[in-house]
Order: sequence, then structure tokens, then C-alpha cells
Amino acid sequence: MTTSDPTTQTLTQLGKTNSDGVIALFADLRRRFEKEEAYQVLAGASAFNQWQALQLSWLGRKLGVLSRIKDNWLKPAPPDLRPVVGQEFQKLKAHVEAALEEKRKEIESAAEESAAAREKIDLSLPGVERPIGSRHIIRQTFDELIRIFLSIGFSVVEGPEIETPYYNFEALNIPEHHPARDNMDTFYIEGARTPHLLRTHTSPVQIRTMEKQPPPVRIVVPGKVYRRDNPDSTHGYMFHQIEGLAVDADITFCDFKGTVEYFVREFLGPHAKTRLRPSYFPFTEPSAEVDATCHICGGSGCRVCKFSGWIELFGAGMVDPAVYGFVNYDAAKLSGFAFGMGVDRLAMMKCGISELPLLYQNDVRFLRQFP
Amino acid sequence: MKVLYNWLKEFVDIQAPAAELRARLSLAGIAVDSIEESVAGPVLDAEITANRPDCLGHYGIAREIAAVYRLPLKPLDPKPKEAAEKAADAVRVEIESPDLCGRYTARVLRGVKIQPSPGWLCQRLEAIGQKPINNIVDITNYVLFELGQPLHTFDLAKIRERRIIVRRARAGEKIRTLDGIERALPKDTCVIADASAAVAIAGVMGGAESEISSASRDVLLESAWFDPISIRRASKALGLRTEASYRFERGADPEMAETASRRAAELIREVAGGEILAGVVDVYPRREPPRELRFSRSELLRVMGADVPDGDIEEILAALGFAPRRADAAAIWQCKQPSWRRDVTREIDLIEEVARHHGYDKFPPRLPPAEQPARRLPHADAEDRLRERIVALGYREIVEIPLADPRRDEIFRAAGLAPAKIANPLAEDASVMRSSGVVGMISALEWNLNHGQRDLRLFEIGKRYELRNGEPVETPVLTFGATGLARAKTIYEAEREFAFTDLKGDLDRIGELAGGFAWQHGGAGWLAGGRAARLFLAHGGGSAGPYELGAAGEFGVAGQLARRIADQLKLRQEIFVAELQLDQLLAAIEAARATMRFAPLARFPAVERDFSVLLADSITFAQVTETIRALGIPELQAIEAADLFRGGQVPAGKYSLMIRVTFQSREATLTDAQLAGFSSRIVAALESKLGATLRSA
Repeated sequence: MTTSDPTTQTLTQLGKTNSDGVIALFADLRRRFEKEEAYQVLAGASAFNQWQALQLSWLGRKLGVLSRIKDNWLKPAPPDLRPVVGQEFQKLKAHVEAALEEKRKEIESAAEESAAAREKIDLSLPGVERPIGSRHIIRQTFDELIRIFLSIGFSVVEGPEIETPYYNFEALNIPEHHPARDNMDTFYIEGARTPHLLRTHTSPVQIRTMEKQPPPVRIVVPGKVYRRDNPDSTHGYMFHQIEGLAVDADITFCDFKGTVEYFVREFLGPHAKTRLRPSYFPFTEPSAEVDATCHICGGSGCRVCKFSGWIELFGAGMVDPAVYGFVNYDAAKLSGFAFGMGVDRLAMMKCGISELPLLYQNDVRFLRQFP
Repeated sequence: MKVLYNWLKEFVDIQAPAAELRARLSLAGIAVDSIEESVAGPVLDAEITANRPDCLGHYGIAREIAAVYRLPLKPLDPKPKEAAEKAADAVRVEIESPDLCGRYTARVLRGVKIQPSPGWLCQRLEAIGQKPINNIVDITNYVLFELGQPLHTFDLAKIRERRIIVRRARAGEKIRTLDGIERALPKDTCVIADASAAVAIAGVMGGAESEISSASRDVLLESAWFDPISIRRASKALGLRTEASYRFERGADPEMAETASRRAAELIREVAGGEILAGVVDVYPRREPPRELRFSRSELLRVMGADVPDGDIEEILAALGFAPRRADAAAIWQCKQPSWRRDVTREIDLIEEVARHHGYDKFPPRLPPAEQPARRLPHADAEDRLRERIVALGYREIVEIPLADPRRDEIFRAAGLAPAKIANPLAEDASVMRSSGVVGMISALEWNLNHGQRDLRLFEIGKRYELRNGEPVETPVLTFGATGLARAKTIYEAEREFAFTDLKGDLDRIGELAGGFAWQHGGAGWLAGGRAARLFLAHGGGSAGPYELGAAGEFGVAGQLARRIADQLKLRQEIFVAELQLDQLLAAIEAARATMRFAPLARFPAVERDFSVLLADSITFAQVTETIRALGIPELQAIEAADLFRGGQVPAGKYSLMIRVTFQSREATLTDAQLAGFSSRIVAALESKLGATLRSA
């Protein structure tokens, strides 16, 4: 503020005695405001401070230009000039206020934009992770196997893990002292009223099912089985199997083959080939080992398949007629097939899991890998 | 069994190289695991199934190869040069137990010279993994691997009275076997004895006393047929498995016994000199006439679903020794069971023979049409929904081996429950079927904590096992375990420990599927007193659990593991566990699902009112909600605990509770007057029924 500032003097002191003089005076002030706004309020970080200073110098309650006009010009104005001074004052005030408000918004939105630009989210940082659960890989594999067999008409049934020797062995044509029992070292239960054991395969459920229902039978049986094997990288006290059984009046080896090939393609992909190798199980005849083309080398031979190009998947075969004798089925009229797959082995094979114990340690670092 | 390619060639003129032979044999039923090179030529590692003892020698495998390639098999008829003296004059044989020994042949060789075997013999034995010992022992081994017939040689000078008696072991009888171990003979073990004592365990191992030594001059060569079951019993009882017992227990060929004896005698004379006494002492009480078998095309078609040409059927059956004779114009063949194929007794067995040599690959695949609807397990859908919810709550599924350590199992075992113990465990820490799913859950938590994994939320759908009145019972259970942080520290949020209230909240989210859970203090003794709960299905339906007290609808327990148990198990973190009986839960989920109904969405706004009250510590939140609900205000929507604190300005023995009540009408927007009315009724009820004081709002 300089002494030459007209607002520090009254109109009389300024020698303005008519309305034209007053109007010219206000016009000067308006130009001065516009000049100050243009030159004193600049864009950038301090724009808001500059705006505040401008606002204070014009609208400040005590020292603002408009307050001084009110005090020095309007209040002491001669009565004839008062209306025009009042009118011009209001016009100037409205203009200043509107201009300042517009400027403020301009400054604010510019500030917001630059703040937003500064605070851009780092997309490489992780979001907030909610803890998520997962199904065990064995469960996932069971679900997949069951889905495949449901699609070709196999129903799911279950049976007890603590079995009788009759269902686990005798009714499956494995009498006591049969050498086939060598491969099925068995845990027995102590203190049961009649002899019981931990089933060594899911096959007893074949017998339980046929005892209960007349043919046709088409079932799969998922479950835990137990072997009295010293644990190592491929053996444990317990593993999982899924058993299959189809019995009807006209089921043949060709049906067996078609079913097995369908399964292998569904489970391992459309390019997987199947091979049946003659084998031996006391409860199937003819019996077969089902091989699929090695998933590692695709059949050309590698260490995993011992350079044969084939991987053994599971044992299977046509139901041995002796088994029908145990369930009062007519072996002369019925035929069927059965299979028993090691689910752990299938899961390990498909996911490249090297050690069986990993499946049952339940280390979350393992579980996390199968979301 | 290890098989030498060049040895096979002595019986069948194989042209195919070893690698091709491997593939062809595998497809005929003799799986060949690998081929290795040796100084004696390629060695095939063949896996012989339990039904094929005839293939536990090179000659039997050669017969299979002859059938595969339709090549002639060299007949086997050794004709050793014999001396004038008769074997029958040098040794006597009696079989006292023909049920254990079906045939016993003895030959005598005099003047043999015991020395190391010649190079070719050592080479062959070494190639198939056998250690050469001396020429006599090596020859018996050689013939075992050549013909599948186990043989034994005695030093004839050590056989008292030159008598061989095949009998049952006497009570308390002992023998020192070739391996130098003195063994007590189990009851019913078949032994070879001389006039005074057992000199060998029949079909298992010879005795040390009558063993061939460098001083031996005269040899008694035994070739016999022993009963498979008795050999298997003896071998198991003695814990002694030998190449001989392995073959006898699977069923040797009684006809081969005599042939093998001739073959061995011939070879002994060749490598050890001496002379073979004339003839064989052959006691054969269980000679069986060959069994007649029938093979028909109609049965082949019924089982296999595709045909095999006549010529192939006949060639295959002939090559395998079944001597097929076509009965007449009908497609029926009469066959004879050869002595080496005791496993083939039925038509289906012949069908398998024809099928495997014809080739499984020649039968066309066909997918049989399904004639019945396929069904999942009865509660599979409910279990899917349950598992989906649990996984959504952040729990990872585990699978535990249900064999437990009894000392651990005991901790979590319900009072009065009889565990299912293993009679023949391999390890003490896996000798009982778990009585509770919690045992397995604790193991999984422990494993992770010991491997640096501290923040855990796990669940398992498994079983617990017990004996009830001596009968096994398996009960499906759903088990939870949680410890560590409920929320990890991140750049956005602070960390928070998992607490009982997390477990409760999670279980109640699961309860939503099943019509709701009700909670009561109490539960298993291994839970921490103040943080132990019994769970009930809100709509009943459950049966009495094993957790004391059983009441209608009770189906599980949940809480914090008691500190003393955690200390005992060396678990430093706070552990939260729950075990629910699965069947009841699934039934409740199904029931809730069946009654699921849509409630129209409210069209008028909901209004919340907060009430800050002081309550005595003994008053529960459940009492508050019951008191308010008892007013029967139809517009009442929800009652929540919005804030709760003790201390500060709140007097001791009391707590401050902010109750947030939501009102909503289905008919209209609620007026201030209505709301004021509800509020004053609620305040009055809380004051009069629960002794609440309203804090200045």
C-alpha cells in the first residue's frame, strides 16, 4: 500500500465530485485487480499462498481494498454520490469475489491433478491378500477320477477301512497262504470280537456291493487302504485307491478295453495311448496291467519309463468267475471287469511329486502348490 | 528273475534282439523291467507273477518265447551215463508225510571232486546275481535257474544209515541250517531226516551237518515236490525265504523233479567227475493223472467279445503244452493240463492263455453304453458345499495317515472309548487307529510349526475309529486346526493373532449352511477351560456325541487347546481346534437346503438405534438378545453388539455394551413416534429384566 493509493483518501480528498469521476475511479481499481490477479497469482506449488495474499489484500476484513473503499469512499460520500458509489462498490465486490473463487477452484483442481500424478499406485506392489484355503491334491485327484467315471455311468460307493479277512481276501479268491498275499502285507486289529484287518485294497467293496444288489453293477469305490510296508519314498502305511467294477450279462474284454482307454484319454489327455499287458490278480481273469504312454518322453523312452516308453498305471481285468461264487451271481451268465488304481501314484505322476510322504506331511508350503 | 538271453537260446532259436524280446514278453505277460549287459550276454530282469512258478526257470520262459514266436521248443530229456551200481542199493527213501511231500527222488553220485566251478558256470551264475560256491552247489543252483526245480545235495557220508525219511518235525526239534543258525522247527514243518535227526528243512534250506564240503566224495542228490502251503507256512514261521521255498510255495512241477535230477547228475559228472549210480530212488505218493480241460469258442466270445482264428487257438494251446484236440466239427477243443501248469484248471484259464498270446491289442475297444443313472455318494452335494465354504474361509485341506501314537491318541480320546489297536504294528508311533481327528490335526500343526510355518488354518474330512462291543466303528469327522496370525502384517494393514472368536466366527459361517450352530460352555477335557465349547445343531437332529454329556443336537467341540496339553506337546503358540461329526452336519446341511425359501427384499428403509447400557458381568449377550426378541416387535430386524468395554469409568463387575438394533417395516417407513416407542420398550425391558442402566446417550 502506498500513500498514492486512492482508497486511503476520501472522494472529496481525491477531488471526485461527480458520478463520472466515481465510475472512472472504480474502473481503475478493477483494472488494478485484474493486473494483480494475473501477475501475482501464478501456477505452481505456491499458487495457493499467492491467492491467499491477493484475497487478503482485496477482501481482508480490516485492511482489504474493499473495506477501505467502504470506510473511505462509501461512508463519508456526499449524499448525491452515495447511490453511484454504492452501486459501483457492489459491482466491484461481486467481480472480485467471483474471480477469486474461480481462481481458487482452478488452483485446487490443478493441485489435485498433480497430487494424483505424484501418488500413482505402484501396480507391482501386491494387493491385500485374503487368506484362501485349498483342497488337498488327493481330494482334487479323486474328484477328477470320479467325474470321469460318473460320465460313463459308474456310481460311487464306499466301504469300511477296518475289514474282515473274508471280504479283503477269501471272497476275492485269495485264500490263506496264497502267495498273492505277499504283496499285501497286512495290519491286523487287536481285540476285535472277530478277526479284523485294515483293508489292503478297495476291492472288498466289490464283494459288499454284489452281495447287496443284483446285476447290473457299475461302481467306483474311492478310499484309504493300508499296507504293512516300511515307509520310503514310494511306500507308506496308507495310500488311496479307487476301485471300479462293472458286471452285467454282456460285458466283455472289449468293453473293458474301451472303458480303460476312455479313462486314460480323459485323465492324461487325448494323445495318451493305452496298452494292456497280461498280468495276474487272483480276482480277475484274464488280468492286465494298464500302461499309458510315458508322460515325460511321450513314448520315445526316458529314465522315468525305464526306456520302455510306457508307464504302468494300474491293475485290472475281467472278474474271475470264482468271485461270483462268493456273491451268488451266476458265473455262466454274467461277466464283468474290475480295476484298482493307486490314486497317490496318479497324482504324483501328474504333478511331478517325487516323494509319497509329502502327500501326508501336510506342509502348507506343499499344500499351497495345489490351489 | 534274472534271465540270460544266451541261456534261453539253448532251448529256443530266438532271432529277435533282446530289446524286441523284452517288448514281446511284456505283452505276453512276463514283464521285463530292464535289460543289462553282462559278460554272458544281455540279462533281462523279468517279473514273474505269483501264478507262474513254471516261469521261474529259463526253460519255462523259453516255452513262452516259443509260443510268442511260434518256434519249436527243444525237448528236455537228459540221459546221463550211469554206472552199474544201483542207487536203490545205496540209499533208502521213506515218505512218512505224503501230505507234505508229494514226490521225493534221490540219486547218488560217487567219487566226485569238490572244487571251484569252471568259468562258463561261474559266469552264468554271476550274470544272474548268484555267487558261485563250489561245483556241486553251483550245479544245483544252475539247474534251479534253468528248470525252476530246486535241488539239494547231501554229503552221503553224513546221512546216518543211508536213510532218508521225510516227516514232520518233532516237538522241540532243532536244526542248524546252512547259514550257521540253529533254528527251532515249528510244528508241522516238513523235514528231511536221516535215521536219527533232521538233516534239512524240506524245500527251505539244508542243514549244516550234512552240507557238501571239500572233503565230500559221495553225494546224495535230492529233487522233490513239497506241498506249497506247508512250505509257505514253514518259511514264514522261520522268517527264512530262499530261492527254493519261493518256488515250492508257488507250486513246483512234480514231473520236473525227476528230469531235473537227471539234468543235475549229468552236469555234476561233467564238472566234478565221479560216477552216477544207476537209476533213481523215486517215491511218488501224490502222482496225479493229467486233468482234462475244455475250451470252447462260444465261451471265448462271451468273455472276450471278439474272435480268435482256429489256427491261432490251436497253435497257442499246443505251444504251451495243452495238447488241444478239436472234439468234432463244433468249435470245442479238449485239452490236457500239463504238469507245470497247476494254475490252469478251468476254461477261463485257457481263455486267458489264448487271449494273452493272441495279443490283448487285437481285441477292439468298445465303450459299453450305461443303462442306469450314475449316482454320487449320498451326501456328496452337501459335502461339496461344506468344503467350498471351508476353503472360502481360508482353511487348507489336509490328509493324515490315521495310524497314531497311542500316547498321543490317549490325550484326545473320549472317556470310555475303546481304541482300535494294531496287533502287528511296524512302529510304536503308528500302532493305533486314531480315536479322534484332533490327533492327526495336531500332528499337521506340529509339523508346520517345526518347519517354520507359523500361521495355519487347516481342516480335514476324515474318520475316527474305535471298537464298540468288539465291533469296529468308523465315524466320519470334520476337524479344524488354526494357530498364528489371523491376518499377517502388510504395508496396508496391521497384524492380528488368530483368536477363539475367529474360530467361532468361522464355524458360525459354516453353521449358516446347516441352519445355525448353538454354543455352550464345556466340551473336551483337553480344551482350555474358559475357551471350550460344545456345539449343537440349532435344529437338533444330531445324536449323542462321545464328548461327555451328549445331548440332542450335540455334534462337536471347539476351543483352544489347554496350555498343559500344548506344553506337553511342546507347542508354544496358542492352538485352536474343533471336531465336528460329519454325518450330522451333512444331514443338517441337506435339511437346511431343502427348506431354503426366498424372503422378499424390504422396500422401506431400515433404521438403526444404539443403546449404551451398563450390565453386570454375569449377563451374556444371548440374554440381551433374548430379552429384546421377547418383546415381539415385528419390525425388529437385527441385534448386534456394536461396542463392548470394561474398565475406565465403568465400575468393577460391570461392562458397557453398545447394542445396535435395526428396525425395518415391510409396510411403511417407520415414524419417529414408532421408533421412540420401540426404544423405550427395549430400555425398560433391559432395565427390569437384566438390571441394565442406560448410559447417557
